[in-house]
Amino acid sequence: MTQHLTRDQLLRRGVAGASILTIPGLLAACGGTSKSSTGTGTTGHKLASTLHFSNWPYYIDTNNKKHTHPSLDEFQKKFGVHVDYTEDINDNGTFGAKIEPPLSRGQSIGRDIIVMTDNSKWPSLLVSKGWVEKLDKSALPNIKNLEPTQQHPAWDPNRDYSLPWQSGMTGIAYNDKLTGPVTSVGDLLGNSKLKGKITVLNEMGDALALVMLYNGDDITKVTDKAFNKAMSMLQKAKDSGQIRQFTGNDYGPPLARGDLSAAMSWSGDIPQLSNPHLHWNLATTGGDIWTDNMLIPKGGDAYTASVYMNYVYDPAVQALMVAGDPKRNITGIYYIPPVVGAKAEALKVNPSVANNPLIFPTKQMYANVHIFDPAALKNEKYLNEWNNLAF
Amino acid sequence: MGFLHRHKGLTPYLLLAPGVLWLGAFFLVPLGYLAYQSLQTGSLDVGYAFTWAWGNYWDAINNYSSYFIRSLEYAGIATLLTLLLSYPVAYWIAFRGGRWKNLFLLAIVAPFFVTYLIRTLAWETILADHGFVANTLRTLHLLGQNGRLLATALAVVCGITYNFLPFMALPLYVSLEQIDKRLIEAAQDLYASHFNAFLRVTLPLSLPGVVAGTLLTFIPAAGDFINAQLLGSPNNQMIGNVIQAKFIQVSDYPAAAAMSFVLMGGILIAVLIYARAVGTEQLTGSAAV
Amino acid sequence: MSSVVSAAAPPRRSFWSAAWAFVRRHVLTAYSILFFIYLLLPIGVVIVFSFNNPVGRFNYTWQGFTWNNWRYWDGVPGIRDSIVLSLEIALIASLVATALGVLIALALVRYGFRGRGTTNLLIFLPLSTPEIVLGASLLTLFLNLNVAFGFWTILIAHIMFCISFAVVTVKARLIGFDRHLEEAAMDLGANEWTTFRKVTLPLIAPAILASLLLCFAISIDDFVVTYFNAGSQVTFPLFVWGAARVGTPPQVNVIGTAIFVIALAAMLFSILIQTRRGRSATA
Repeated sequence: MTQHLTRDQLLRRGVAGASILTIPGLLAACGGTSKSSTGTGTTGHKLASTLHFSNWPYYIDTNNKKHTHPSLDEFQKKFGVHVDYTEDINDNGTFGAKIEPPLSRGQSIGRDIIVMTDNSKWPSLLVSKGWVEKLDKSALPNIKNLEPTQQHPAWDPNRDYSLPWQSGMTGIAYNDKLTGPVTSVGDLLGNSKLKGKITVLNEMGDALALVMLYNGDDITKVTDKAFNKAMSMLQKAKDSGQIRQFTGNDYGPPLARGDLSAAMSWSGDIPQLSNPHLHWNLATTGGDIWTDNMLIPKGGDAYTASVYMNYVYDPAVQALMVAGDPKRNITGIYYIPPVVGAKAEALKVNPSVANNPLIFPTKQMYANVHIFDPAALKNEKYLNEWNNLAF
Repeated sequence: MGFLHRHKGLTPYLLLAPGVLWLGAFFLVPLGYLAYQSLQTGSLDVGYAFTWAWGNYWDAINNYSSYFIRSLEYAGIATLLTLLLSYPVAYWIAFRGGRWKNLFLLAIVAPFFVTYLIRTLAWETILADHGFVANTLRTLHLLGQNGRLLATALAVVCGITYNFLPFMALPLYVSLEQIDKRLIEAAQDLYASHFNAFLRVTLPLSLPGVVAGTLLTFIPAAGDFINAQLLGSPNNQMIGNVIQAKFIQVSDYPAAAAMSFVLMGGILIAVLIYARAVGTEQLTGSAAV
Repeated sequence: MSSVVSAAAPPRRSFWSAAWAFVRRHVLTAYSILFFIYLLLPIGVVIVFSFNNPVGRFNYTWQGFTWNNWRYWDGVPGIRDSIVLSLEIALIASLVATALGVLIALALVRYGFRGRGTTNLLIFLPLSTPEIVLGASLLTLFLNLNVAFGFWTILIAHIMFCISFAVVTVKARLIGFDRHLEEAAMDLGANEWTTFRKVTLPLIAPAILASLLLCFAISIDDFVVTYFNAGSQVTFPLFVWGAARVGTPPQVNVIGTAIFVIALAAMLFSILIQTRRGRSATA
């Protein structure tokens, strides 16, 4: 009997072991910290060994052959910091809702840099609630290269907490194999030839901006009347089957595949699709311009993040990231860079891209785009109605 | 050993304890908590307060009744389709499969080793507007020139049907396989035709499988949201999509919780009506899995 | 003459009735073949497109054959971590759920006790609850207990819904179990634990294996419950969901195909073992 466990002993030990797998045991074991926590925030001027960076998909330069991101590799070579890059942001609402619970309880989300759009309530919410770390400006001399128009946004007037990653415009894309040019919102939402073959963006700021501008309303100061008018126009298009889907980035494949004739779309997506049949233009009545911002969530390493931001704000680096280099098989971001001097650098490496008005817009285009009213983005009533429509 | 011999009655409880505790803690308690939350008001910003907010239930039914009904519709049609599609094959494997029965069963289950999402995305490619299937249907004039397969109710129901086929096929097979073939022979000895023998002997004896398969298909299908999201248009959204959005995108937990219980209530009612029609012994017989 | 008559063919039938008999005999087979084609069509598409050489980022029309996607299967950022996480969770969850399930099944089948019916109901309930409710209720619980979302919350959820499957699988085998073998062993002097170890366990081993496989498959494929409870961790199905928004890279097809092939091989292997056992048992 000495070598063999009695059944009784086995059962007792088994139950004891299993009880570790019960709640108290587990909670004690994991102690409320997430697996990939980056720690306790800024730690003076010492570079971390890893930078955890969450971004949108296809929002960084990519070497298609080797499946690497040259700018991140260069950063690692220069500073010895490995960048743990995840493309897990697909829309502001979903990502924001994911990080809100831990941040509101003071828990770290395991990231040093996240990127969110000022066309949603999130950047201003994160800053106003104190859920972001301050930038370490001592590590950011290149902040002087920030475009003047971007230097004082209403929600972060001194750029203490954020820096733009890229900007973009919202307009209409169409497939010339399936339809003639679609340049008017009225066309998009009303032309029966396009019925069931168009999509609208599910970001409230973008979709409503285009519709309101079409209705002749001011999007920098949204009124209930303007809001309701735009919503009923969209509701009508949805009910009639004109709108095939409300999408985030996912209009790309159907548009290229021919399931869609036209789509409300973001300016940089079309060059990325590299399909000669797809064209993008601003709606005739104008569109909105938005900026994705880098933020350091609470618990992130502000110093290392700031060093990275400084690296990215070097015009030569920015030019390579945005325009890419066909000779080295590098695809660029193809959105609007916030760094002064990037165009000049890009002209040296990739002139055709550098002269693309979608990446370096003309003065006329800038005159036709506006920034959506930030107060409207926080309005609970608007958000609720929007969610009922688009989700 | 002595302890257990003296307390023989304790053994089953000891055996059950770990698993049952786990289920209790991570299934029952959360459900209870969800019920509690469904009667709260508030938001993540200001906090939640328990206010016996039955209004959440009323709002859920009022505002989203079309989604509930649509979900039960789609799930019901898909369940019926899976039954019609899988019964012949289950029959064929059970009665004609011979030595290869296990292999055929494997063939039914194998496609479901590919991730659910990837399978559904493959349907998105197959049913594309300018894909092979759509083009063929257009040539055959079964589809209008401007018609499409994706972003329609048809695509969503087809997706649900495909994804839940084994849940119907396997229980059907199990119950068909267990039928004593001698009963069928006896019927034929009594001058029943093939068809009559099937109708009067095989079909009724396979009912437990039908019931089990129906439950295993209908219940999860009613709460599905993936097929609607990938294959449907905004007018084909199911209640699962709304619940998912309310939880993940809007963080309106009380409303979403109330909707979840309304969904379960709706499923329960549908199942009860079904049980009435089929006969309750079948239900409990197959429920004692 | 009589031998010719008796050896003659059955009375002549018309062409149509012969044709109808032919159709009736084979229609089921023909239908079944069509059915299997329908089942495997999307899988075929997945496998074929894993070899596609897409222009740009979107893998939706056939451009050309390449081995690249298989060679650089982890070329898409995040895909490798997601599949590693999925495998880890599936492994642990299937082991724990099977262990708990075996214990429960033993109790349910071999003992009569108060609360047996209730326990049966408790096991059945998770199977009949929509996944969205399972996931959402766990979400609210974890939020309110202030538990950090991540690996542990995913694991807890997976073990929870796998237990029911484990119980059902093992129970089926235990019900058909011949207790005489155990009695015989005890008559020969073995105590309960030795009997369990040397007689019971080996005989229910196929069911345990089946339960492990089933739980593993269910866990690695789970999307809905994981979606609600993963926090910022990304399992493979979650990765696919995110990638689908912007155009699934072919590497997703590669991994999907790989999982399919491995699972298929495992099942074939297990069938082979069962047939061998069956043959040697009757030999």
